Amino acid sequence: MSDFVAAPRMEQARLVLDRLRANMRETIRGKDGVIDLVLTGLAAGGHVLLEDLPGVGKTTLAYSLARSMDCTFSRIQFTSDLLPGDVTGVAVYDETMRTFVFKPGPVFAHIVLADEINRATPKTQSALLEVMDRARVSVDGQTHAVGSPFMVFATQNPLDFEGTFPLPESQMDRFLLRLRMGYPDPADEREVLRRARGGYDAIALNPVASREEVLELQALVGEVFVEDTVLDYMLRLVGATRAEPEFRHGVSVRAGVALRQAAQARALVAGRDFVLPEDVAALALFVFAHRLAPLRPSGAPAEDTRAVEAALRRILAEVARPE
Amino acid sequence: MSRNASRPRLDPADLPPLRWLLGGLLTLLGISTVLYTDVDAGLLMPLAAVVTLAVLLRPRLPSRVPQLVHTLAFPVILGCFALDLWLELELLPSLVRLDILLLIYRNLGYRSRREDLQLIVLGLFLVIVAGVLSVSPTFAVHLLVYGACALSLLLVLTLEAGGGPPERIGVADVRNVPAWVRQGGWRARFRRWFAVLDGQLAVLGGAVFVLLVAGTTLVFVSLPRFQLESGLFLNRVITKKAKSGFSDSVQLGEVSAIQLDQGVALTVDVDDPAAVPRDLYWRMIVLDEYVDGTFRMSPALRAQFGPERLAAQQPGEGRGGDTRTTAWTLYLESGVSRHLPLLGPYERLRFRERQTFRASAPLALVALREDPVAMLAFRVDGFRSGLVLPDPGFLARWERRERGSEPGAPLQATLPGSGRDRLLLRQGVDILGGAEGGAVDFARRAAAWLRERHGYSLSPAIPPGAGDPVVRWLNSREPGHCELFAGSLVLLARAAGFPARLVTGFRGGSWNGYSNSLTVRNSDAHAWAEIFDESAGGWRRVDPLASPVADAGAGPDTAAAVAPQPDRSWEARWDSLRVFWYRRIVSFDQRSQVESARGLWAAAAAGFRESRDAARASLEWAAAWWRTAWDAERLAAAGGVVGGGLLLLLLWRRHRWAFRRGPGRGGREAAVRREAGRWLGRLAPAAEDDPERAAVIAKLQRLRFGAAAGWPDPTASFQRARQLRRRPGQPARFNRS
Repeated sequence: MSDFVAAPRMEQARLVLDRLRANMRETIRGKDGVIDLVLTGLAAGGHVLLEDLPGVGKTTLAYSLARSMDCTFSRIQFTSDLLPGDVTGVAVYDETMRTFVFKPGPVFAHIVLADEINRATPKTQSALLEVMDRARVSVDGQTHAVGSPFMVFATQNPLDFEGTFPLPESQMDRFLLRLRMGYPDPADEREVLRRARGGYDAIALNPVASREEVLELQALVGEVFVEDTVLDYMLRLVGATRAEPEFRHGVSVRAGVALRQAAQARALVAGRDFVLPEDVAALALFVFAHRLAPLRPSGAPAEDTRAVEAALRRILAEVARPE
Repeated sequence: MSRNASRPRLDPADLPPLRWLLGGLLTLLGISTVLYTDVDAGLLMPLAAVVTLAVLLRPRLPSRVPQLVHTLAFPVILGCFALDLWLELELLPSLVRLDILLLIYRNLGYRSRREDLQLIVLGLFLVIVAGVLSVSPTFAVHLLVYGACALSLLLVLTLEAGGGPPERIGVADVRNVPAWVRQGGWRARFRRWFAVLDGQLAVLGGAVFVLLVAGTTLVFVSLPRFQLESGLFLNRVITKKAKSGFSDSVQLGEVSAIQLDQGVALTVDVDDPAAVPRDLYWRMIVLDEYVDGTFRMSPALRAQFGPERLAAQQPGEGRGGDTRTTAWTLYLESGVSRHLPLLGPYERLRFRERQTFRASAPLALVALREDPVAMLAFRVDGFRSGLVLPDPGFLARWERRERGSEPGAPLQATLPGSGRDRLLLRQGVDILGGAEGGAVDFARRAAAWLRERHGYSLSPAIPPGAGDPVVRWLNSREPGHCELFAGSLVLLARAAGFPARLVTGFRGGSWNGYSNSLTVRNSDAHAWAEIFDESAGGWRRVDPLASPVADAGAGPDTAAAVAPQPDRSWEARWDSLRVFWYRRIVSFDQRSQVESARGLWAAAAAGFRESRDAARASLEWAAAWWRTAWDAERLAAAGGVVGGGLLLLLLWRRHRWAFRRGPGRGGREAAVRREAGRWLGRLAPAAEDDPERAAVIAKLQRLRFGAAAGWPDPTASFQRARQLRRRPGQPARFNRS
């Protein structure tokens, strides 16, 4: 075990992560990779954009995570008529007190599921994205801090874009990871069918990690060691996206920082207190892909995404890893 | 908190103190070069050194210098320079003193980058002046160090300029304390510099500097020579003062004083060591006039020197039947004398550059007009050294003088004026048996008598009293130095009626085993007598302090007797460098250039031949050894050697990283990471059912990518990796990519 980060802290983190992982596996079958990525996002203190078809378990995933922790959970179904106040909360006049009182919106929770985020108007999207960035809400000149930890799971359908407002690149940059659930294996799907249940409320999970434990997990990520050559590897990847002619532009500095945070979190999830080049390579696609756009868009977002991911895979194959 | 760097990086804040330190060093190096010159800066130099050292040790000091000093600095320095020039009427020394003043002032305030550049130029001026005036090998070392420091400072200035905002061109606030002065001390700064120093980069920088010097040397060797007529202008700008004091008159004790100095006076490059005479007497000055304890060169003797000439060579009269044609190059250190040391008559004397001099064929002497300000190189062809210096015209002049037809020309030492002294001298002559037997016999008897009565000492005891000091000493049994011995012999010979004179110069020399050259030191300074030998028609050397055999002239003149015991001391090593400097740098004409090129080619060819022969001999030896019958002892020896070699190789391969130190690229940390990376590349990934392999790989990963503070034992980890690799099923090399 580690000597760099104090061994008891690492052991505690491992126990917490093992409990969370095991608990989520109760409801999410055959998606261990996605579970680890979600835990990575949680440990890094980032937000996750889940992009997949309806009905593959995006909401269940978010719900499972929220239920596994001793934290509050809320879900917002984004629609075109949703107003910013419906997300952040509003100030209402209290007759008895003769003053405006702030009524917190659903965003005031530790885990927030923003379902089909691209169906809301840009104004409403911006309201959520401001919270994601600053972890607080400003209404009528008053600032209200949201929960800590605070993690947003946003979902969107990658195929059905009719009547949607695609998130601009600057706002996509706020998400640490973009994940896809994918279809489960037949064996796992059979298990899902076998244990068919009702709504989300039927998910019976006991909290296995306290809020303090999650915060400690997030604090620990910052102490995970990143060796110079691994940092250089990250820089080479960032530079390669900027030099890639297929991209309209390269990734931002924030993306580089996000890659480092995510790699540190992945190392912690794997039980290490140091980052391997494999951590970086494994996350580059999830961290960079949604931040990039092709030079010549095809008009079909799914096609563009595939082109970007193919170019990123090529870059990952070409950029030398430290040995 | 994450630790991202295994080695601290150079920060722009590290550079200003380094700049300050290098500037101080350059100042100290610059002012110390003034020691090579004869510029009178006795007060300014220590002051500059003290100021520089003080501000180096206490960088806060400049902030305490009153503003008034900075306000008045320019007019005061200018005034000092004008006053100095007016008083001394010598431009270069005044400029040197002005330079030192400016250096002092530059160290009294915090320098901007522009002022650091000025400091480099100011120091360089001193270095160049000293170099032109001294041309000494010490200066070459000095210049190298100065060059390295100046280049380092320029590098720091460039780094600073690259990392910071452009500097305001103008007068910097010299009292404004920079931030670095308030933070930490020199120990912390040195520790910090050491930490950020990249060892490999430093080695690379050193190598580049060495290559630069080597390249310059090659350019120097390959460029066509050109002659600088009569030295550089600086020779004439500055007045040189002789240090050792071989001048036209010698007071008792002056030669002995020179003997106290162990410095090199003359270096002689001889073409054939076998031709070096046994007894080397380097004649410099002939003194034929004696008055009250002082020997002088008489006007008549001076008249024997020809007219003053400005020439690069002087033909001699040394070509004789028994003369071997030798070609010796002599390097006379500055400050020794304007009289050149010569063994005797010569065929031809050549200077590297034209000189103003006078030469005397009958005296076999050459005297420059002025003391050479730098080392003087000259070449003498066809030296003829011997006990007798032919002077065919002297007898006629002597007889004319005896007849009174040539009054006022003493031609040799006159006797002391006191009647008592003359009486004592005649008594001495009587004791020696009078003048019977001729000059040579008398001289031999007199020398033996002197040696019997007096011991040799550099601290002579001349009895007090009235009368001539030499006669007083002669009349005693006190020990004396060479001048007393030789002076007494000259006076006794004169009292006996033989022409005699005192000669000063050097006797002997040591053979430098490293440079194959003769080294004559100031401690070899000597005085001896010359007595006119009528039968030989010349002046016979008589050294009362030499062995009786040599004194009598028995034995061959030119038997090699200096070389048998070459000097191999550390001093000789340094002197050999000096000779190299003189041979190949200072006195480097086209002929030497061709010789150097040939020497280089010959050395390269010889090296190639020798290595080829050595390889062939080794192979033959190995083949012969292999063919010899094998027995247990040979087998054990061969096995021991091979096994030892393999063991060393194995130990090196396993523990090479342990010889590294520090966190840098060349340090231990980087070496361990590299080694761990190599092992990770060799090992296949662990299968799920192989926890042992997974554990080893995890350790290697930690060594490669983890923080050094949390490392497992590298030796044990690599050992485990080695064992794992030997297991069956492990591919020869696993490429992770």
